[in-house]
Amino acid sequence: MASPIADYLLALADDELILGHRASEWCGHAPILEEDIAFANLALDEIGHARLWLELAAKEMGEDPAKYPDQQVYFRAPDDFRNSQLVELPNGDWAFTMLRQYMFDAFETQRLDALSAVNHSGMAEVAASIRNEELYHLRHTQAWVRRLALGTEESAARSQAALNALWPYAQQLAQPLPGESQDVPSSSDIFDAWRNMVVPFIEERVLIIPEVSGFIGDRTQHSDHLAPMIADMQEVARVEPEAIW
Amino acid sequence: MADTQWPRFMVFERDQPDHPWKHNGSVHAPDLEMALLNARDVFSRRPEQAGMFVVPMAAILTQTREQLAENPLVVKKLQEGQASSASSSLPYMIFAKTFEQGPCEYVAEISAESPEAALAVAIATTAVKNPLWWWAFAASTVLASDAADAESMFAPARKKSYKSSNEYPVVTMMRQIRAKGKLED
Repeated sequence: MASPIADYLLALADDELILGHRASEWCGHAPILEEDIAFANLALDEIGHARLWLELAAKEMGEDPAKYPDQQVYFRAPDDFRNSQLVELPNGDWAFTMLRQYMFDAFETQRLDALSAVNHSGMAEVAASIRNEELYHLRHTQAWVRRLALGTEESAARSQAALNALWPYAQQLAQPLPGESQDVPSSSDIFDAWRNMVVPFIEERVLIIPEVSGFIGDRTQHSDHLAPMIADMQEVARVEPEAIW
Repeated sequence: MADTQWPRFMVFERDQPDHPWKHNGSVHAPDLEMALLNARDVFSRRPEQAGMFVVPMAAILTQTREQLAENPLVVKKLQEGQASSASSSLPYMIFAKTFEQGPCEYVAEISAESPEAALAVAIATTAVKNPLWWWAFAASTVLASDAADAESMFAPARKKSYKSSNEYPVVTMMRQIRAKGKLED
């Protein structure tokens, strides 16, 4: 049975899943072997977080937590995903990937801080357990953003180009999630805390925060990049629905 | 082609706070901080891990059993070290690999004027005799994980189940699907 809490959890899961899938696309292609291992681990972490949120959503809806996550991931139409557009954009170059991951990890640590205190034991528990991992992700991506932004002329230019492209999409994170009620932290408050965290970090690395005009839309709207990514993610499961992984 | 690799760093870890440090492997990185992060990701996915440090390979003095037999460099340095004042001494970490299948393990921390002098003291005074090789490096060249970071660096791995690759049916399954001609390569 659908509920606002389940809608909310699905949106949390979709952000993790889609970003995790994008991160997994670097597997075998990252700049050095060590980073390839590190970033593939991070991708697995994000996908694992999506599973935790989906299992919780299953409980809210009276669905089977063992089956529901796979159903949602492998058999849902792209239009039914509720992730932010920030996480669905193609990876671009390494500067783009690291800056996007930094921006989202920073947002997540703020969101998880707030969620750890909600009056819903399942949600608070999952948030607290995910938070540890996100703190490490944040440390990793901060280290990269700092070095790329302050590195060579080329890495600085690529970092600025990534920021210009990503910043308008990040504004979407301020909008309420589907099912967001008084019982969960307000996305707009989390966004303000996030801004206070990332703007000084970015400006200290001599990047310039771009002006933003216009509005990306809500989470029922997606860029043209999502559908092909979902098709790729779901290809094997749709060919062989009974497959055992 | 020129070597485009970043410098190498040696990775050490211990599985309990009171257990000895052991050498685990090496990573490439542009600097110490990235080396520690890479080390965490490459070596600490599995439990148990209680601490980790990295040190630039270039900062390590190595003396193998053969080198010591051929060249009494260390003994000479020891004599020099004893002769000079101890005011400029620094702490050095001494590690040794004592047998082929064993790890290169922590032996002692010794204050000395140089890695050679520290190693000479270790050879003369510790219980380790004639190992396969010794390592000595200044404690100041090390970057260690912070106790405060242990939760985010090492705790997550404890919750992850480890499955050997042959426990996954994915490869066989993909072969079967391909055989049915449903998927393009």
